[in-house]
Amino acid sequence: MSAAIYEEKQTDKTIAIVNTQAPFSSADGKEALDAALIFGSYEQATSLFFIGDGVFQVIGEQNASAIEIKDYLKTFSALEFYDIENIYVCQQSLTERNLMANFHIDNVQVLANEAFSQRLHQHNVIYRF
Amino acid sequence: MQNTLALVVTTPPNSNLTTTAINLVKRAIDKDVAIVGVFFYQDGVLNAAKHLSIPNDEYQALQHWQQLSNEYHVPLHLCVSAAEKRGLTDELSNNENSNIDKAFIVSGLGELVELTSKAERVVQL
Repeated sequence: MSAAIYEEKQTDKTIAIVNTQAPFSSADGKEALDAALIFGSYEQATSLFFIGDGVFQVIGEQNASAIEIKDYLKTFSALEFYDIENIYVCQQSLTERNLMANFHIDNVQVLANEAFSQRLHQHNVIYRF
Repeated sequence: MQNTLALVVTTPPNSNLTTTAINLVKRAIDKDVAIVGVFFYQDGVLNAAKHLSIPNDEYQALQHWQQLSNEYHVPLHLCVSAAEKRGLTDELSNNENSNIDKAFIVSGLGELVELTSKAERVVQL
C-alpha cells in the first residue's frame, strides 16, 4: 500500500486533547502540550480539555522550581500563537478540589459536566493524557 | 472502500494495554482494515528498546511488533524526543550499537499529525 492512497482520503479533523493529570507529578501534561502545539503548528483545529487532576495544570501561581522541575506551564502562553483558543475546564473537578478560578492563561471556559461532554463530543479525535 | 486505522501507543511493553494494542492491530489486519501506522509516544517509546530482556515464559511485545513490521509492513513510528528522554538514541541508527530496534522508524510528533489526519479512525492506548 502506498502513502498516496491515504492522501486522497485526508480529511480535516478536529482534535481534542484531554488532560487528566496534575502538572508536575508526571510528564503527561508537558507531553500533551507538546502534542497540542504540533497539531496547532500544522493548522489542525485543536482544543484543550482539563478534567480530574488535570485542572491543576491551569491554576496560577505555581512554583515548579521548588521541586526542581522546569515550569512548562509558561508555555501555555504560546497557545494563542498556534490558534488554540478553545480551552475547557471541568467545573466539577475544580469544585471537588476546592480550587478557585484563578488561571494562568486567558480564554479559559469553565463548563458544567453536560456542556463539557457536549464540547468533547464535537471533536473527531480524542487524545487523553 | 477499505477502512483505515491509526494507533497511538503510550504504554511501555510490560503494560497490558500494549498487549491490547498488538491484538487490536492483528485483528484489524485480519478484518482487512489498513493500518496507516502506529505512533509510539510517552512511555510507549520503550517498546522500541531492543536490549530489553523479558523472561522467556513472559509476553514478548517486541517480537510481536517485529512481526507486524516484517510480515504486515505496519509502519512503527517512534517519537524521537520522547525516546531520547528515555535513553533511546537514533544517533546510532542503522548501527549495531543503536539501542532502537530496526523495526521502528525514528519520527517526530509531526508524524502523529499525519497519521491522525490520514486514518479514518484513531485509537490511543
